Amino acid sequence: MTAILKVEGLKKQFGKVQALRDVTFNVKPGEIVGFIGPNGAGKSTTIRILLGIIKRDGGRAEIFGKDPWKDSFEIHKRISYVPGDVSLWGSLTGGEIIDLFMKLHGSGDKEKRDYLIERFELDPRKNAKGYSKGNRQKVGLIAALSVDSDLYIFDEPTSGLDPLMEQVFQEEVEKIKDANKSMLLSSHILSEVERLADKVVIIRQGEIVETGTLDELRHLTRSTVILETKDDVSKMANINGVHDFVQKDNQGIFFADHEYLNDILVKATKLGTKKLEITPPTLEDLFMRHYEG
Amino acid sequence: MKEKFAHWDMLFVQYLKRDWKKIAIWVLGLGLFSAGLVPAFVEIGKGDGTIAMYETLQNPAMISIVGPTPVETASEYTIGAMYAHEMLLFCGLFAMTISILHVIGHTRKEEDLGLTELIRSFQVGRQANSLAVMVETVFINILLAMLISGVMINYRIDGITVGGSVLFGTSIAMAGIVGAGIALVMAQIMPISSSAIGSSLGIMGFLYIIRGVTDISNVKLSMINPLGWFYLTYPFVENRWLPVILASLFSIIMIIIAFALEEGRDMGAGYIPQREGRANAKKSLLSVYGLFIHLNKGVIISWLITFFVLGIAYGAIYGDMQGFLESNELMKRMFAYAGFSIEESFSSTVMVVMAGLVTILPIVIVNKLFSEEKNLYLSQIYGTKVRRRQLYWTSVSLAIITSIIGVFLAAGSLGGTAISVMENSPMNIMDFLLIGFNLLPTILFFTGLAALILGWWPSLGKIVYVYLGYSFFLSYFEGILDLPEWLIKTTPQSWLPKIPMEDFNALIFIIITAISIGLMIFGYIGYKRRDMIERA
Repeated sequence: MTAILKVEGLKKQFGKVQALRDVTFNVKPGEIVGFIGPNGAGKSTTIRILLGIIKRDGGRAEIFGKDPWKDSFEIHKRISYVPGDVSLWGSLTGGEIIDLFMKLHGSGDKEKRDYLIERFELDPRKNAKGYSKGNRQKVGLIAALSVDSDLYIFDEPTSGLDPLMEQVFQEEVEKIKDANKSMLLSSHILSEVERLADKVVIIRQGEIVETGTLDELRHLTRSTVILETKDDVSKMANINGVHDFVQKDNQGIFFADHEYLNDILVKATKLGTKKLEITPPTLEDLFMRHYEG
Repeated sequence: MKEKFAHWDMLFVQYLKRDWKKIAIWVLGLGLFSAGLVPAFVEIGKGDGTIAMYETLQNPAMISIVGPTPVETASEYTIGAMYAHEMLLFCGLFAMTISILHVIGHTRKEEDLGLTELIRSFQVGRQANSLAVMVETVFINILLAMLISGVMINYRIDGITVGGSVLFGTSIAMAGIVGAGIALVMAQIMPISSSAIGSSLGIMGFLYIIRGVTDISNVKLSMINPLGWFYLTYPFVENRWLPVILASLFSIIMIIIAFALEEGRDMGAGYIPQREGRANAKKSLLSVYGLFIHLNKGVIISWLITFFVLGIAYGAIYGDMQGFLESNELMKRMFAYAGFSIEESFSSTVMVVMAGLVTILPIVIVNKLFSEEKNLYLSQIYGTKVRRRQLYWTSVSLAIITSIIGVFLAAGSLGGTAISVMENSPMNIMDFLLIGFNLLPTILFFTGLAALILGWWPSLGKIVYVYLGYSFFLSYFEGILDLPEWLIKTTPQSWLPKIPMEDFNALIFIIITAISIGLMIFGYIGYKRRDMIERA
């Protein structure tokens, strides 16, 4: 399947700062791509280039086969965007701003809007001046989710939302996924991307350092194993693929290489396994490894 | 009782420490403005200037703007009487506005921001903050009164008496204190700080208009008006202290009411519930044009009113123009041209002044697009079907339309008032409109300049104001200062003929308009190509 969003060797410079050095990734139809990196890594810059807000200095970018700088009008008909920092006019209510954004986007669904306002528990009659960060974010999200698009670009969409609302957001994203729409979801909050994303792109200092499905990326790291055995668990310490072994009473905690997992399990059963917990690496672990390296 | 105000003194000292820079600017700026224009008035009053001014200000239109004077014959109209007559009301309104903003800024605004919550968690009385802010505001206004009186006494000019100077300063300070009292009450009643500010300023504006009416119909009625308690003290003439006492009583009552109201309310809540806004947008908002009109509405309306009022104020002078200008050498050099009636030459200069002011509005509108961009308000809109072309040309065309309306209002109200106060006017309304619209290309030129900068060097947007101020200054004082021709030619105003002394020149009119449109188009090329600047 051809990608609907394609970025290759993207470069951008602000004055002396090289904000993007080499950004390459793609989003395929029906795919949800998590775009992960710490603040200042270049996530928002990449997204702004994709929206034609700023111009790239080098490399290629394509959405629906079109150039985001030259053909932004054509592209914008089919995308929804929520910026990371939603600023709202204090003289308008949340409801008015949602209506305005929907109208400027076109193809809005009023019923969907009302449904989302209810789900996100937003008071649309309140002046936007009085909204908290989370409520401002809701306004942006409701406007973007109420219109029909083929590609959704969300920059740090859940910052400021409480866990309940984050849950609501994730459920709405699931629906988009079920409808076979695509999404680029930037975040430094790893758990939300972990649940939603089919693929993860990790950016660091303007460069993509890792791309792949979560499963693929997990091969790069080790799972955490907690093992309790009848016999002396310390015998586990010296087999291949076991790292950083720590013992506490009859319980051993260690990291396991995935290719040695079978050997480890065979050995464990010989010692008489009483309890076994294997935790796959979280994105956090992936992340830390990249930043330490 | 004591508990309620516990540690107010500590808060007071904190406020002085926090605000000292603001206080310095407030007292020095307003004080020097209120007291510092005396030499200019001395200049105006030379010869028969005071008599002419007296006659001019007897016009009902002028009374409704600046207020009345108790002086009954022009010969008794001293510099002091003239100064208080023209300056006191406006300086008082200034003092009031700043005090209102200050009081609400430290009371309701801090509640909205959550600062009060923190303060209250300490051993601080429920009403300590209000008391501290009021004491601070009164203290600042006393400083202001002392500075104004001191500066005025030091002029040692005939007609500027010591007693009058003290009363003049005190009246302005009382205006501030009355404003502070009103603001403190509104801070309790209104649901959020912005509505507290809006209602306080609204009350002030309403009282100002009411007094405009009562000043003309029956001045005694203006004494029921809280504003009357500072601008009807008549310093340098009657030196009435009774209004000052009334103002003090009024302020004390307001403060007591405010404390009683504050005692009975929850923090962060007012007595009037927050008005529910619209859940859905009106159709008129739902376009780039609708949005931009909404965003600029306040600025546009207030400037248009200003142009209109200014036109009336200048127009009112026409009634006794002859005496006014001939009495004064300086005025004559500024406004008169040989071989033409004084009304005609005055119209020409005054329109240059008004066109200069009208120019501010389109610059504000064009620059607004960049401030929206910079402050991230447009971010989500960039992701919609809205093109840059729409954002840019909507702003620019809104700027052009409002400048045309502005010129029409300024020239129209000037002409209308002038014709109605003159016995046999040498000019008709079309003459005035021609004088005004002849200058439209200069306004377009500045608008084009602002648009050019928006497109290519958006962070330099303020430069247009500097250039406008420069050319405004040069064209205003062209007659007084002997400036070389080339220097005068650096101002766009000088490129167009001076109507009615010179004939309308269609070619120049079209050329400058075309250049201005060229600047706008060139600006658009830049706007389309540059990165949007979003300071996150």
